[in-house]
Amino acid sequence: MTLPRWLPPLLFVLAMGAAAWRAPAPAAPEFSRAPSAAASRAPASFAAAMLPSAAPSAHAATLAELPDGRLAAAWFAGTREGAADVAVWFATLSADGWSQPQAIATREGTAAATLAYVRKIGNPVLYNDGERLHLWFVSVAIGGWAGSMLNHSVSGDGGRTWAPPVRLQTSPFLNISTLVRAPPLPLADGGLGLPAYHEFIAKHGEWLRLAADGRIIDKGRMALERRAVQPAVAALDERHALAILRDGGPAPGQIRSATSDDGGRRWTAANALPLPNPNASVAMLRLHGDRLLIAGNGASNRNELLLWISDDAGKNWRSAPSVESVGDAGAEFSYPALLQARDGRIHLAYTWRRQGIKHAVFNEAWLDGGTP
Amino acid sequence: MSAAALYGFLAHGIIFGAFVAALPLGGRWRMLALVAIPIALATGIASFMHGIVGTPSLTLLALAVWQLASLRQSPLAYRPALALLTFAIPFYAMALGLGPLDPYAPGYQPLPLLAASLPLAALLWWRRLDGWLLILAFDLAGYASGLFANLWDVLFDPLLVLVALTVVVGRSFRRRTSPEGNPVDA
Repeated sequence: MTLPRWLPPLLFVLAMGAAAWRAPAPAAPEFSRAPSAAASRAPASFAAAMLPSAAPSAHAATLAELPDGRLAAAWFAGTREGAADVAVWFATLSADGWSQPQAIATREGTAAATLAYVRKIGNPVLYNDGERLHLWFVSVAIGGWAGSMLNHSVSGDGGRTWAPPVRLQTSPFLNISTLVRAPPLPLADGGLGLPAYHEFIAKHGEWLRLAADGRIIDKGRMALERRAVQPAVAALDERHALAILRDGGPAPGQIRSATSDDGGRRWTAANALPLPNPNASVAMLRLHGDRLLIAGNGASNRNELLLWISDDAGKNWRSAPSVESVGDAGAEFSYPALLQARDGRIHLAYTWRRQGIKHAVFNEAWLDGGTP
Repeated sequence: MSAAALYGFLAHGIIFGAFVAALPLGGRWRMLALVAIPIALATGIASFMHGIVGTPSLTLLALAVWQLASLRQSPLAYRPALALLTFAIPFYAMALGLGPLDPYAPGYQPLPLLAASLPLAALLWWRRLDGWLLILAFDLAGYASGLFANLWDVLFDPLLVLVALTVVVGRSFRRRTSPEGNPVDA
């Protein structure tokens, strides 16, 4: 059968018109001016407790504040990291304490929802946009974490029920090596900027711009001179942001950084912060004003969990009270997650000796040296 | 499950059938290929391919259907396969981190890429490569459906590049072993 000469170009023109209609053409991104918690005059306070155990091995906690004020935490746990029984667990903190953890993402459930083979799951990130609670987590079909793909699920009822996860397309090569660790930042157009990272062959930070419906509409790279992953980002104003990254290069490491002055479209390598990093995840939080708070490990191991404060948007840093510090170099207090609740209290969740997740809550008076 | 997940799963079943169709199975190849599709879907082969390879491109799906329908010779002859390899290998290298630029990123806001497809389409029409022009139209229509967030994923994927590699290597091998050293196809 021979087609009329005019038919293929006609079909092409129609298809191209439809594709052009579908193609996103968003305005230049700007960070949203999220309302920051008011400075508190409360006396210094600090308290810490373990979350209920979900499985023998736990890691990589993430935090979100629900619309009703409850704190939500998610982490992955199973018999060991990477095991087939690892699930993403979820618990909330109310006046009665932490709820019993419930599995909100499993290997089997993810495989069933995506109709694709999944070998293991890991690294969750929670974010509450005011209407929906988002969960991103990684899944791997083959190989190690460098082969991770990114999945997204949402809950409309504060985490009780979740929509089946959707796999996001973030890489052209087998869709591998996009991982997440830190929460997104709200953008002025209702979308989100999600810090991510890549670690197959090269290791660098990435920035995914999401539309309000969760669809990816842009992607940027944080190309640093050294290998650096797991960016945590704080917006300094509508256009400027600071990203800090885990140092993936040879020891001794320092917290690496990158900056953006165009709402996250482009990222430029900046000087490393004068803060140690033993190739371990870091968290950052913008407090009121230009104050920034970082949680991370000490110089050589993960047996210290430390806090640092900057009062001038990241130009200078000073130590705040440490959260954990033991002499045993094999002990691990790692993968911190930070969140400031609307009441001004600061929540920190972290991996405690790989046996569980610990939650600490404190205020700025304690950070500034006050005694509880 | 999402429409994109369903597409990827079903498409891999069809692609598996096309691979079976390409095997030297004698006169019953078409029946065996059509039987292979439900087998792939039911036994987990398609799910495994979907997990490992990711969402297949519409170009690969179109070529698979082409293979199954036995429509003339596949458009993926030596020259298109070589052109795809020449483009895709540095593309993947840069997308995986070689250098500061990520060529994959423009696929999320692809209006410039769509504009660039106009001269490509004109070239295909002028060279009377109607098969490729139809596949390109099919790809763009698929992008317009909203199944894909990135235009590059519609156009090609690693499995298609692997198929192109076998076409190029196969042709080179046949040229070596052919007594006259003549090309077997264009």
